[in-house]
Amino acid sequence: MVDDADERAPASPEETLRLIEAARAAAQRDMRPDPRLTYVPWGVAWLVGFGLLFLRFGPGGRVLVAMPSWVPLGALYVLLVGAFVLSARSGIRAGRHVRGASSVQGLRYGLSWAAAFASVVVIASRYSDRLADPEVVLLWSGLSVAVVGVLYIAGAAVWQSRDMFVLGLWITLVNISGFLAGPGWHALAISVAGGGGLLAAGFGEWLRWRRGQC
Amino acid sequence: MSEDLNSGTAPAAELDPVIHAQARLRIMVVLSVLREGDRLAFPRLQEMLGMTAGNLSIHLRKLEEAGYIDVIKTHQGRTPTTLIGLTRRGRLAFEEYTAAVKALLSLTEEE
Repeated sequence: MVDDADERAPASPEETLRLIEAARAAAQRDMRPDPRLTYVPWGVAWLVGFGLLFLRFGPGGRVLVAMPSWVPLGALYVLLVGAFVLSARSGIRAGRHVRGASSVQGLRYGLSWAAAFASVVVIASRYSDRLADPEVVLLWSGLSVAVVGVLYIAGAAVWQSRDMFVLGLWITLVNISGFLAGPGWHALAISVAGGGGLLAAGFGEWLRWRRGQC
Repeated sequence: MSEDLNSGTAPAAELDPVIHAQARLRIMVVLSVLREGDRLAFPRLQEMLGMTAGNLSIHLRKLEEAGYIDVIKTHQGRTPTTLIGLTRRGRLAFEEYTAAVKALLSLTEEE
């Protein structure tokens, strides 16, 4: 039997509109990934990981804080893997049981990251043995961050997100400037401006997400 | 099948009775959040609305009979899946319903 309360019409136009808005906001929150899980872990990973990289491989080959070279590299790797797991899980959760155009979009966009990073690994690996350590770090991080910037711009086209577009442009700009400044400076730029940009974007998106607006 | 669509916004007094019931209104809202061309599987819709399966089915049938949603039974691997999405007509009906409610509201405010 149909529940009486379910069959009842909302009491007034105000009540109807309130019901529509509340249900819409709740549905949007449920179906869009939480920005605290999609942006913030990457922001933290860049801030801390590239920050450590800067301290160990400073500008002009200086070691600002003495530590074995595997420490910043290992920390960055672990933080990036952690960020990947958190953001992928929240994306999959938001999109589960949804079939159609957007699941195809999401899958192809996900594959574009895999394709881009496969290329980065193959290209950068070839030169890693022939370059000095600071140059190797610059090569890997410069290529990787370039891919991230471009894919955020592409993601902005897919999901019509202005925030994502601005973030992609910002990351690209920071990456190019840091790269031109050279080893050490690049890590500092990505840590502070790149990681900071990701955290700011995550916070801005979260404010909208909380209200069910994105 | 003749689809006799209401042209323009329905008069304020005649809110679409198919949508104007709490449960079906909430179903329509959730489905309208999906992007056009997307469908939601039954268990997720049920979870989001917090309705019993039987109750949800009854309301879905009414919406389907009105031509507002389509219900597709398919297989995900070996598991049978029911996918639900708004039809073009349903999307339009929901937009008209929302516009009619807003019109009613501005009428009340003017008084």
